Amino acid sequence: MQFISLVLIRLIQTIFVIWVVVSIVFVVARIFGNPEAALLPPFDTTEADYEKVRERLGIDKPLYTQYGIFLSDAVQGDLGYSFIRAGAAIDIVADKILPTVKLTAAGLVVAIGLGIPLGILAALTRGSAYDWLARLIAVFGQATPSFWLGLMLIFFLAVRVDWFPTAGAEGFRALVLPAVSLGLLSAAGFMRLTRSGMIDVMNTDFIRTARAKGLNERTVIVRHALRHAMIPVATILGLELGTLIAGSVIIEVVFSWPGLGRLMIESILKDDFPTVQAGVAVIALSIAMGNLLVDISYRFIDPRIQAAEL
Amino acid sequence: MSERIADTAIEPRRRWRIRRPRRIRRSLLLVPPLTIMLVFFVFGIFADIIAPGDPGDTNVLNKLARPAFDGGTTESLLGTDHIGRDIWTRIVHGARISLIVVAIVVPGAALFGSTVGVIAGWRSGKMGQVLMRYVDVQLALPAVVFAVLLGASLGASIWNVVLILLFWTWAGYARLVRAEVLSLKEREFVIASLAAGGSGFWIMRKQLLPNVFNTIVVIMTLQVPVVIVAEASLSFLGVGAPVEQATWGRMITEARNYLTQAWWVMWMPGLALMLVALSGNLVGDWLRDLLDPRLRNLG
Repeated sequence: MQFISLVLIRLIQTIFVIWVVVSIVFVVARIFGNPEAALLPPFDTTEADYEKVRERLGIDKPLYTQYGIFLSDAVQGDLGYSFIRAGAAIDIVADKILPTVKLTAAGLVVAIGLGIPLGILAALTRGSAYDWLARLIAVFGQATPSFWLGLMLIFFLAVRVDWFPTAGAEGFRALVLPAVSLGLLSAAGFMRLTRSGMIDVMNTDFIRTARAKGLNERTVIVRHALRHAMIPVATILGLELGTLIAGSVIIEVVFSWPGLGRLMIESILKDDFPTVQAGVAVIALSIAMGNLLVDISYRFIDPRIQAAEL
Repeated sequence: MSERIADTAIEPRRRWRIRRPRRIRRSLLLVPPLTIMLVFFVFGIFADIIAPGDPGDTNVLNKLARPAFDGGTTESLLGTDHIGRDIWTRIVHGARISLIVVAIVVPGAALFGSTVGVIAGWRSGKMGQVLMRYVDVQLALPAVVFAVLLGASLGASIWNVVLILLFWTWAGYARLVRAEVLSLKEREFVIASLAAGGSGFWIMRKQLLPNVFNTIVVIMTLQVPVVIVAEASLSFLGVGAPVEQATWGRMITEARNYLTQAWWVMWMPGLALMLVALSGNLVGDWLRDLLDPRLRNLG
């Protein structure tokens, strides 16, 4: 019961977080943005034309009036119409969610599927050739910029040999190169953290106790050591989700992936405020939910943390 | 008793034989990354002396010239790009920008983020809640999107890049340090200090901070390449340093369309970026083993 009410409080806080994030974007965009310039031809345009466009877009009023209108509309689920595209901003954003979720999820699969098993194995065979190899892969993964990796993968695997498409999101094969480019950096992070966590925990007293009890090594590692080593990994998971979503923006630009990230970059550069706000709200919501899930998972991983601290 | 004396008499010798080669191997492995980091620093600081040419000088008569080791002339050591700018000069001057950004962003974000993390973990009541909700706001801000928005709004300048990256990276330290502190403060030695009348500030400074120090160092290690790459990524998206400044990220972006005709235009800045990030990681690893007594005792 207490746990449920704590989760509810966090959900309310999440709504608050999204409100703050969208408000920051609202203000920053409107202070510096200049959408009427992008909509009108640069020659033979009078000040009256600009006035007319500003009025049509609703950005002629003072900032606080605009903000008031935006809030009262937003509460009713209306995030406004795009300045440059046909349709409501939220619909334009909604169309792009699925491709980005697909890309981010595939990146996460690459990151976890590669990082955590490699990290455990490296820790258990510390100092061996395998450990060195795993760390070398991690270090290279960390040191390779995702966009450079993406461009290189396109060059070698899509241009030199025609194994994968160079761009787009058609079918499973199109997902492989973007997912690898996106996930490798996070995989390296997971691997390093799992390895150092496992090495730390294998030298603690409670592992010695578990072994002294006569538990077999598999139980000691999986039930006792791994659970403890996953605390920093679980924390970084929430951060990595943010990293992956942030990274997907760049990967979408490299691979011309029709997702939210590319839409956001285009909309920012064209000062399409409603689409930027709607997109930021959606991305913020997904990151905040990810962090909430991570915090909840602490409770199950580390019983020393009390519910009150969720 | 005599057996034990015999044991200790033999042991140093045996240990000497096993340990010696490992130590040499380890320190030898550190030579290349340390050298690369040193070169990176020297390039960054003395860019004007090492490559006296102007990184922005174009020469349309000498565009896409091959590097000296691949059939080119020694006039352009690493070749030239699509408008005839010297790649070597641009890489050396690009190092300066990366160095400035890393030197401010990594320590700045670590100091600020860890302080917030320790306080939020220790005072996990109201104060911690307020701090962590702010961190949540920060982490929920889609970093790249917000960075592009800020970059497009503030205009292109290195100082804006530094600001964006500081803002982008500090919250990660706060979250991780807080998680460690939450776990640490339930441990017996902290409770004992509290019972003995230790003040909160003393415990944070003398017990919590030293215990999370390794975590902070590991994260800083992870952050050096991340920050270098993030700066390059901002340039790649077109909101980094201004066009007239040579940065590795912008060099890679501009080389995109010439990859099939002239491999060196993209490979050179890409390799520079990778080598520095790689070396930063290896040096950081070594530093971590050095700073962590539990790991050091294991040899």
